Amino acid sequence: MNFFAPFCIPFMVGAAVMAVALVLKYVLWIWHLPRADRKLLVSGIFTVQSIKAVGEVISESLLHRRIFKVNPLLGYMHASLAFGWFLLITVGWIETIAYLGFRYVPLQGHVFFKYFATCIAEHKPVFDFLMDLLLLIVLSGVALAWGKRLYSKAMGMRRTTKHVLGDRVALSALWFIFPARLVAESLTCAIYGGGGFLTGSISSFLAEHVSGSLLAALYEPSWWFYSSMLGIFFVALPFSRYMHIFTEIPLIFLRRYQLRPREKESSYDNFEIQACSRCGICLDPCQLQSELGINDVQSVYFLRDRRYNRLKLAVANNCLMCGRCEAKCPVGINLNSLRQNSRDTMRNIPDESRYGYLASLDRSQGEGRVGYFAGCMTLLTPRTLSAMERIFAAAGEDVWWADRNGGVCCGRPLKLSGETDSAKKMMRYNKELFYKHNITTLVTSCPICLRVFRDEYALRGIEVLHHSEYILRLMRQGRLKVDAAGGRFTYHDPCELGRGCGIYDQPRAVIEAVGELLEPKHTREDSLCCGASLANTVINDAQQLRIARSMSAEFEQTGASTVVTSCPLCKKTVARGSSLPVKDLSEVVAEHLA
Amino acid sequence: MKHVVVIGGGIAGMQSALSLKKRGFDVTVVEKSNRLGGKLLNWHCLFPSFTPATEVTDTLKQRIADSGVEVRLNAEVVEFDRHHVVLADGERIECDAVVLCSGFTLFDARIKEEYGYGIYDNVYTSVDIEAMLNKGRVELKNGGRPRRIAFLHCVGSRDEKVCQRHCSKVCCVTGVKQAIEMKQLFPEADVFNFYMDIRMFGPGYEEMYREAQQKYNIHFVRGRISEAAPTIDGRLQLKAEDTLTGRPLKISVDMLVLLVGMRSNDDNARFAEHSGLQCAPSGFMAPADMFLSNVASGVGGIFYAGAVTAPKSVGEVLNDGAAVAEAVTGYLG
Amino acid sequence: MAAIDWGFSINRPRTIDIDNNNLRKSDEILREMPELQCCIGCGACTASCTAGNLTEFNFRKVHTLVRRGEYQGAYEEMNKCMLCGKCRLLCPRGINTRGVVMLIKRKLGDF
Repeated sequence: MNFFAPFCIPFMVGAAVMAVALVLKYVLWIWHLPRADRKLLVSGIFTVQSIKAVGEVISESLLHRRIFKVNPLLGYMHASLAFGWFLLITVGWIETIAYLGFRYVPLQGHVFFKYFATCIAEHKPVFDFLMDLLLLIVLSGVALAWGKRLYSKAMGMRRTTKHVLGDRVALSALWFIFPARLVAESLTCAIYGGGGFLTGSISSFLAEHVSGSLLAALYEPSWWFYSSMLGIFFVALPFSRYMHIFTEIPLIFLRRYQLRPREKESSYDNFEIQACSRCGICLDPCQLQSELGINDVQSVYFLRDRRYNRLKLAVANNCLMCGRCEAKCPVGINLNSLRQNSRDTMRNIPDESRYGYLASLDRSQGEGRVGYFAGCMTLLTPRTLSAMERIFAAAGEDVWWADRNGGVCCGRPLKLSGETDSAKKMMRYNKELFYKHNITTLVTSCPICLRVFRDEYALRGIEVLHHSEYILRLMRQGRLKVDAAGGRFTYHDPCELGRGCGIYDQPRAVIEAVGELLEPKHTREDSLCCGASLANTVINDAQQLRIARSMSAEFEQTGASTVVTSCPLCKKTVARGSSLPVKDLSEVVAEHLA
Repeated sequence: MKHVVVIGGGIAGMQSALSLKKRGFDVTVVEKSNRLGGKLLNWHCLFPSFTPATEVTDTLKQRIADSGVEVRLNAEVVEFDRHHVVLADGERIECDAVVLCSGFTLFDARIKEEYGYGIYDNVYTSVDIEAMLNKGRVELKNGGRPRRIAFLHCVGSRDEKVCQRHCSKVCCVTGVKQAIEMKQLFPEADVFNFYMDIRMFGPGYEEMYREAQQKYNIHFVRGRISEAAPTIDGRLQLKAEDTLTGRPLKISVDMLVLLVGMRSNDDNARFAEHSGLQCAPSGFMAPADMFLSNVASGVGGIFYAGAVTAPKSVGEVLNDGAAVAEAVTGYLG
Repeated sequence: MAAIDWGFSINRPRTIDIDNNNLRKSDEILREMPELQCCIGCGACTASCTAGNLTEFNFRKVHTLVRRGEYQGAYEEMNKCMLCGKCRLLCPRGINTRGVVMLIKRKLGDF
């Protein structure tokens, strides 16, 4: 049997270009991985992680389980296209084997089997049925994709991504592939007979209503069209958003081997960046979008711009890094880390003479195994400071006050703005200070500091606690007693504390020991950002205030009489936007000490 | 006889009622508290002449009592239009015109947490100082005499961070006045005024400022205090920049006085929405015109007098009361 | 660049010579961040400044000089800032102070 016809050429060329591009990309990316990452890769391959990765590939790359969680219809759309197409290919292979037995069949022979199989007299209706069913499923996905362009709200998305030209070409080709296949196969069946419930019935309709000469004239062009659409799509794939189809697979494996974006840009980032399908799920959670109407800085655009080397500082900097989009990203891309290392590339100017003034400075006071690092912002919310003082006194704790009389910033604000190397100087300074005073526990009231103490300081022998964790521990140990005086509270999750450090339950447990806790509409992993995030240096005061006002409105709707939070920056900001009193968690505790 | 309701029994309300009565209207003053006089009742002396505030309030109250103006105390207004004023107990008062004299709200200094009001001892507002002066006892928490006092201007005024953009106008003069009063009470004490700008807009004000500097040796530091913190010996340490020398400045004081500003009433927006009135961006009621109809509201039959339209000094408020009677007469004929 | 001296040296002229200063950079900076022009020089930023507590860094003074076309040493001075953000919480004019630091460094640095 001959498996070649001229119409196969576009497909074959396309497939070859795609294969070469993909192999080149992956080989180069892996080749350029940092040495430590390569080590992780090598040591991970022959472990159970690889098996787990296979499972994840099936559930995410094919079934798109996480998108189902965002919206079932959206999930079905992605799954029908990905898993449907995958099954079409697999079942197609099985069909070929079933008809021809185990023998070599070139790629185009599998893909265009219907064309080449017209000479086979025998029919296997099971395959006709299966292939038609799968085609129908994929076509339903295509129809939904069309529908999504027209009315995205049906899939729970208020906004969809604005695509670049290359994406539009690939997208159009993709949308035509399956209708083209349906037409080509139906025409073939109309002339040669056969076909399942879909192609079969269309073909008998065609056979009845269209003249044989017209059918014959359309026959070859229809296969040319199908093959061309495939060819165009394959050529465009490595250079468009459809690169995600294949890239997500190695990404899942590498992530299982513990590879992550680093402080500096690295080759691994390519896997994350090109695994973005530009689905646009990150658009709706973004408060810069919903409150301020800024619509060109969201993660999908950031990744796109970075991928095509046209990232602007204004885009990289204009992000609250609140993590709301990261929490929703169906591919699980480390959006904040990538943005941060972009900022590093664009802004980090190592300057050895910077911060020389930090040397041999120590303004701390008191002595104790417990160190309290208020944080710069907390010095502007003295109610928190005096509350902590009362709490320490009530628990009988001797405290070393690290920065009450002015200390050195924790370094995270600098890091967030990309000046990674200079931030290290502050970290080194503070670390030495902590060790010098022999503390075993470090308590901070600022989640911004907490995050960097935990993630970057590597404080061996010192336990780092947020004051919410510390207070709860004191209460559970019976060292701190509060009276359950009642009162209706609502709680704002600071981004850095909640999504940043995963601390949701401890502050809630503390509040519930005092009174009733009423949750706002967006809460925990889904909580809103107050808008004053240090990560954003672009938006102005009025814009910050707009975000603060809209998010504070949710607290008023809970019916609570006090808003509680546990971040000095959030406290100041929410207080600007809210008509309710805003208190730090420590104040609530200090007011109710038994 | 045409009936006019005056909402608010402060000095603006009282003067408006008196002027209206004099022009032959039937006037009712509706006051939500249990006495006439408004915020001026808590004031000790008025700048720049150090006239006792009671001279103004008592005189006005006496005139009201003599005039036959109907006064309704403990009556809070929930909504109004030109023909009705609805009270909290549901009563509707019919009328032909309304004069809104609901004044202003004092800025809550606790919001500027970094200054320590309500957290540390011996942090007071300008209002607290007037009350202490009225009681005749100005002293520290422990009963001692302050050796060093700091005044901070612009607390809750000209501050985006508390959403109060406007200048409250009278706090500068009040700050200078109170600084002099402190110096008179405690001649041995050092008094420092921390300011961003000193706005001495009225007759005799600049002279009083000069006197404060020259006669009373009060120190004026151009810089906004950023934080107050307690010291070990129970005093307050303040941080500011001495912007005229360009260097950070630290100072320990026994007493910190915050010159709180005037902000618009929370009611304003609700009243405006119900009656079709306009609020300025500051939240104060916007008069129909800044010059020729500055006591008219833009809605026929509704008028303003006093600090409901902007921060004003006592003299300006009293002038409004006379002006509004003229405007109401023009409207009701 | 040499250590800066904020106007107290004998060699440098004391006058801020607006006629001869090149205000192009200053204009660029103000175009990108017009709110900087709103500064009323209250000094709250400098008073609370974490870095200014430890060095002679004076944010208010540096950006004011930059606005007058005095750029020398501004980049090095701004490099003393820790970007902690206290000043932004205090500024009564709502100036995006951290943005100003980064903008001035970007415009006046060598990058």
